[in-house]
Amino acid sequence: MPDVAERAGVAVGVAGVPPTAGAGAWGPLGHLGWFVARQPLGAAGALIVTALIVAAIFAPALAPHGPKDAAFAPYLPPSAEFLMGTDHLGRDMLSRVVWGARLSLYVGLASVLLGITLGALWGIVTAYFGGIADTSSQRVVDSLMALPPIVLALALMAALGQSVTNVIIALAVLLMPTAARTMRSVALSIKEMPYVESARAAGAAEWRIIFRHVVPNTLATYIVIFTVNIAYAIVVEASLSFLGLGAPPDEPSWGSMLTAGTQALETAPWMVFFPGLAISLTVFGLNLLGDSIRDLTDPRLRGGLG
Amino acid sequence: MHQYVARRLLLFVPSLLGASILIFVLLRLVPGDIAEIIVYQAGAESATVQRQQVREIRAELGLDRPIVVQYLAWLGNAVRGDFGHSYIQQRPVTQILRERFPRSMELAFLTLVAAVVWAVPLGVVSAVRQNTWADYLVRVVSISGLSLPIFFTGVLILWALVRFFGWLPPLEWVSFLDDPRENLKQLVFPTLAQAYYIAAPIMRLTRSQMLEVVRQDYVRTARAKGLADRTVVYRHALANSLLPVVTFVGWWGGRLLGGLVIMEIIFAVPGMGTALVQAVSNRDYPTVQAIVFVMALVFLTLNLLVDLVYGWLDPRIHYA
Repeated sequence: MPDVAERAGVAVGVAGVPPTAGAGAWGPLGHLGWFVARQPLGAAGALIVTALIVAAIFAPALAPHGPKDAAFAPYLPPSAEFLMGTDHLGRDMLSRVVWGARLSLYVGLASVLLGITLGALWGIVTAYFGGIADTSSQRVVDSLMALPPIVLALALMAALGQSVTNVIIALAVLLMPTAARTMRSVALSIKEMPYVESARAAGAAEWRIIFRHVVPNTLATYIVIFTVNIAYAIVVEASLSFLGLGAPPDEPSWGSMLTAGTQALETAPWMVFFPGLAISLTVFGLNLLGDSIRDLTDPRLRGGLG
Repeated sequence: MHQYVARRLLLFVPSLLGASILIFVLLRLVPGDIAEIIVYQAGAESATVQRQQVREIRAELGLDRPIVVQYLAWLGNAVRGDFGHSYIQQRPVTQILRERFPRSMELAFLTLVAAVVWAVPLGVVSAVRQNTWADYLVRVVSISGLSLPIFFTGVLILWALVRFFGWLPPLEWVSFLDDPRENLKQLVFPTLAQAYYIAAPIMRLTRSQMLEVVRQDYVRTARAKGLADRTVVYRHALANSLLPVVTFVGWWGGRLLGGLVIMEIIFAVPGMGTALVQAVSNRDYPTVQAIVFVMALVFLTLNLLVDLVYGWLDPRIHYA
């Protein structure tokens, strides 16, 4: 009975404790109800993000046409046949927007996974060893952060050349220094913990301590930086494509669709509206979800487990 | 205080040098250099001639020397204001910078002023009238400003201008010194579009700071001794809630400069951002390098100024 389960979830949620004990009895819906009641905005974000993921995974089935099929008349306004109209080359906008979800999500996830993971390891390892390794790596982080993000991404694209893979690499480089700095500060406090000391006293090798004792304890922070940065990576990807320097123009990127639409603002404003709305909604949803995940994992808001 | 200033200034130089080294290395990480690009873009000649030309251009540009030597040569010239030659534009990069830099800085300055002028009062109203319709309106405006990517807002404004006012992006740049009115007319829309975006977080920050400050003891004291509401809000509460707003401008300096690139492209402002995008798509390395360096310089200077102003405004701050 989902109704009862939900109410139970709400009741426990208001008390401020996740329904861990009751979860066995009520099933996953208890958790869901608790989340919806505790974080209504986060739940709305989760809904938007789920829609995005569904669009990305099932793009071939959902899109009525191929994203690169220039098979129709150009500049057709939205109609029953083409819900979002067609673009300057006669491609179905709806199909391109749906496929755009796949590209955005792929670039966002891949770049964040690459950048945050490398940045995290960089920060953790240098923090653990300290000394010159730490100081010099902090200077590199400073230097990377001295470059305005989009400008750094542009410079990297100049060096790498335009392709989807290179956008991912450029974004990863962009995300690395922030991740390194945040994870460094977390690792600095973990490395002073008694359990690290006892592992050392027991004769564990340095790398074993790093990967068995330090890394697992930075996981909560890692998850937070991860979710918060996906929206950011998606926006920067769209910005680069918008400037004509991200994914190649025939790729269905929301950013490059906007550029094409800007060329035809007067005749075909729908070419701008739909991809723009798609990006805004995505960013909005990811931000809402990221905020609530941060609230839930923040030790200060969770009550003394950190 | 003097020590704080000195330490902060000492940090500035290594960061800038580090940034310049990074750009230099990053632009040379990838196989294929500017010599090859110049020769292969020209095309036509046979492969042997091309290889010969590549060698000649490399020698001319010093690309055959070790990277450390190249960097030191570049740095030595840059310090003297010489950033090399743009092979695409066929003129010294310094000339491009001299032409473009003031335009971008004007746009950045106007944006910051517009954002602060519009965000701080609204943030105050939102805090003073907490949980009224005015507060909700301000919060909706700021949340929408944060969620709409800046290029989408820009394009929407451009669309509205084109559609309803028959506005067209200017074909030719008019400098402020030649014709201030015309110049401001060209910059008003990119300024407002970006200010809307930058204003959103400033609004939220002002609001939350005000809400915190009005609960402080000294504000209660001010009220208790019979000061008018206005005086309490402006003289006591606002002055103290603006401190974090100042730092914030430093944090967002990077986004401001990135947004500048996008605004210049949308509204056809021939500034540094437009030049950077052109240079990137032509792989005009000397120009890319110089513009990125200047942007890092501006960004770091902004942060330095913010830190100094902050230290001056809040005597409790000591650089640790």
